[in-house]
Amino acid sequence: MKLYKVAAAALLLQTSLLGTAYAQALNGNPLSDVRVRQAIAYAIDKKAIVDNVYGGYAVVADGLLPNGPFKSDKLATYPYDPEKAKALLKEAGWDSSRQLEMVFYYDDQVTANLMAVLQSELADVGITMNYHLIVGDVAKTLNSIPDDPKGKSVVTWDLGYGARAALAMQEYFNDYATGKASSDGFPGSPELDALIAHSNAATDPEVAKADLKKIDEFIAANAITIPLYYQQLQSVESKRLDRHGEPYGNDQFNYDWNVQNWTVTPDSNGKSIMYTNGAPLDYFEQPWVNLGLWAGNKFIWAHMLAAKPFLDGVAEGDLASDYKLSDDGMTLTFTMRDGIKWHDGAPITTDDVTWSLEFALKTPNLHGVLASVFNSIDGAADYTAGKAEHVSGISADGKTVTIKFSKPNANTLLAFTQWGPFPKKSFEGVEPALVQQAPFWQKPIGSGPFMVEEAKFGDFSSFVPFADYYKGKPKIDQIIAWASSDGDTNMTKNAAAGRIDFAVTKVVGDIEALKGMDNMKMTPLDIPYTRMIWINQYDK
Amino acid sequence: MLTYIARRLLIIVPMAIAISFLIYLALDLSPGDAVSRMLSPERTTDPARLEELRHALGLDQPLLVRYWTWLTGVVRGNFGFTLTGGVPIGQLLADRLPATLELSGTALILSSIVGSILGAISALKRYTITDNVLTIVGMVGVSVPEFFFGLVAIVVFALNLHWFPVGGRLLPSYTTYWDHIPNLILRYARAAMLDALSREFIKTARSKGLPEWRVNLLHGFRVALTPVIVLIGFRLPILIGGSVIIEQVFQWPGLGNLFVTAVRNKDLPVVMTIALFSVVLVLVVSLLIDVLTAIIDPRVRLGG
Repeated sequence: MKLYKVAAAALLLQTSLLGTAYAQALNGNPLSDVRVRQAIAYAIDKKAIVDNVYGGYAVVADGLLPNGPFKSDKLATYPYDPEKAKALLKEAGWDSSRQLEMVFYYDDQVTANLMAVLQSELADVGITMNYHLIVGDVAKTLNSIPDDPKGKSVVTWDLGYGARAALAMQEYFNDYATGKASSDGFPGSPELDALIAHSNAATDPEVAKADLKKIDEFIAANAITIPLYYQQLQSVESKRLDRHGEPYGNDQFNYDWNVQNWTVTPDSNGKSIMYTNGAPLDYFEQPWVNLGLWAGNKFIWAHMLAAKPFLDGVAEGDLASDYKLSDDGMTLTFTMRDGIKWHDGAPITTDDVTWSLEFALKTPNLHGVLASVFNSIDGAADYTAGKAEHVSGISADGKTVTIKFSKPNANTLLAFTQWGPFPKKSFEGVEPALVQQAPFWQKPIGSGPFMVEEAKFGDFSSFVPFADYYKGKPKIDQIIAWASSDGDTNMTKNAAAGRIDFAVTKVVGDIEALKGMDNMKMTPLDIPYTRMIWINQYDK
Repeated sequence: MLTYIARRLLIIVPMAIAISFLIYLALDLSPGDAVSRMLSPERTTDPARLEELRHALGLDQPLLVRYWTWLTGVVRGNFGFTLTGGVPIGQLLADRLPATLELSGTALILSSIVGSILGAISALKRYTITDNVLTIVGMVGVSVPEFFFGLVAIVVFALNLHWFPVGGRLLPSYTTYWDHIPNLILRYARAAMLDALSREFIKTARSKGLPEWRVNLLHGFRVALTPVIVLIGFRLPILIGGSVIIEQVFQWPGLGNLFVTAVRNKDLPVVMTIALFSVVLVLVVSLLIDVLTAIIDPRVRLGG
């Protein structure tokens, strides 16, 4: 018996475990059996879903990573095959009396339709699935995991429908690390943990890319998560708007879009007003959370660097005229641009930058990519733990800010294309934990091309050109942004009435409605935004 | 009457406290808190930072402590700050109340006047074409939900006819106004007028030789107003709560919209402040109705 165990161990060690699919349940939960998960994948007709539920305004997904340079050609795929699904379930000894509970958090009709289709397709192969909209504490319901990865699941759901909208590709996978509280339902594996860590530390983009592809392959081979479709973003514009050849990009984040060069046909009073949406309902959200999402974030803030349109590198410096990241990724140096100012006319200083970096480290809700990079700064851990007054790795000298890291991070430069400083003097006495509650956010003083003129929360906000913007005063006289949440339910109504010149949407109903409007045009944008089904493999 | 009013006013205080506590308790029992509602389900956040935020906002305190902090603040005239954005709630109310008053106040006043008059006409012209038309209009109005009426109004008046801007002020007021009229016409004013006209004192007035307009207006309509005033009174709290659905449909920046957002964000200080206003308004209005009814209808006596 002992000899048998030794032989088995030797065999395992010789075999690459990567991508290995164990054809058995690993615990009391049948979803820990790869055959059951693969059966679910085979049972879903993604093409029919994209065509019929999403009106063709999405792309079938075969991996979590988007199509393009990050897509592996070795992904295990699961083309629609209900007979194969049934065979796999039979082989796995699936108990057809068992019911799976699916949860989701989008309260729109299209998602309800998707749930009905998924329920029907799973029923066709002998799986009974019930679905529920999560209300209340959505994050806790989705992301809670047991302390011990081998322990019993602490959530009741079996399948979860959701999405990842990634700034950095690593964001697709970091939550799969062992012990990371997240919605993927995967208890973790040492092999995957090693790859995830390597992909985050790789300063060579090609090395990171290879790691990421391997992770995607591992997830696909083991059907850990079932990718459904890639979401397309539509840039919605009126025919009054002229971007003057400035680029389209990933409008969910910040990129070098040069909005100061855009123009709008003047109205009868000779004033060019651009109407948009995404103004705050009750306060301006601080821009280190949802990086380029709201009108406030898009128009009033500049960043240390400017990203290329689809975030695949740095286009140029922004508040920093020059930057240098050492070859080992351990030292980043910024040279601040001459003459840059806040909207109140005060100069933007290196002190604002160093203070903002330290302040950011202690704010809640800092975007994950920013948090990952900033926490890699030398001395950050001691500072956040209260053991040091300042972060030892951050220093300033003249126009130069130097940041030393304790470990390299693949997304260091990317993070600084999305992050810019706040004016230090406006936050005196503000606890970092209460950054969002500061009075500053009633009428923020920014650094970007437009400044806040008036904010009627829940109604509209008005932005006007910042004459001292370092790239030149914007040509549009005024931006009026209607207050809305993400997924503005009034966007098409306002567009029809000539009160939308620029917006973005992913909503199928909006796209269908906009197609019929002569005054509007749409440009599809391929963004890293994957909708998927998570499978809870924890023991039950 | 003054003793009665004073006694009723004194009762309002413990009632408002008791009701506000029950509301606070109910809200607190629902899952999550303001911090968890700030999180995107698509991203995970450092739990330590979130606990710091909960502590800074006082959300880690026991329920009774949090309620007491809120209540003592309100008593001192300090409504506090929103949990999500740190906005002074007093300022928020000052910003939003005029919009809601504009919407609901206009609708309430216009619909009360026009509804009462049309209801009386309908009753006086009983079983004529006028009565039938008004009854049908009333029935349709009652049957069509407010949000549907609002959406149709947007399509017809804003998008097709271009009479009003989509995001302007006129269309929502108009929608709310029209939606309130049928209730008054159909349910109350007409029925109350018919009831009044069948009373003995109307026959007495007529037998005294009074002109018909005087009988109808001063004797019939005056008495018929009593139940209408009760109805109008009980609609007064919409001045605070706002027309939630209409405010949502038209993105009207009023208290109703704020209330929905605050409930969604579990921003308890905001929800509680608006709820407290509504509670106090209902209690005060019920007192006012009693007093007004006693003034209008000589048969009613206050006291006991």
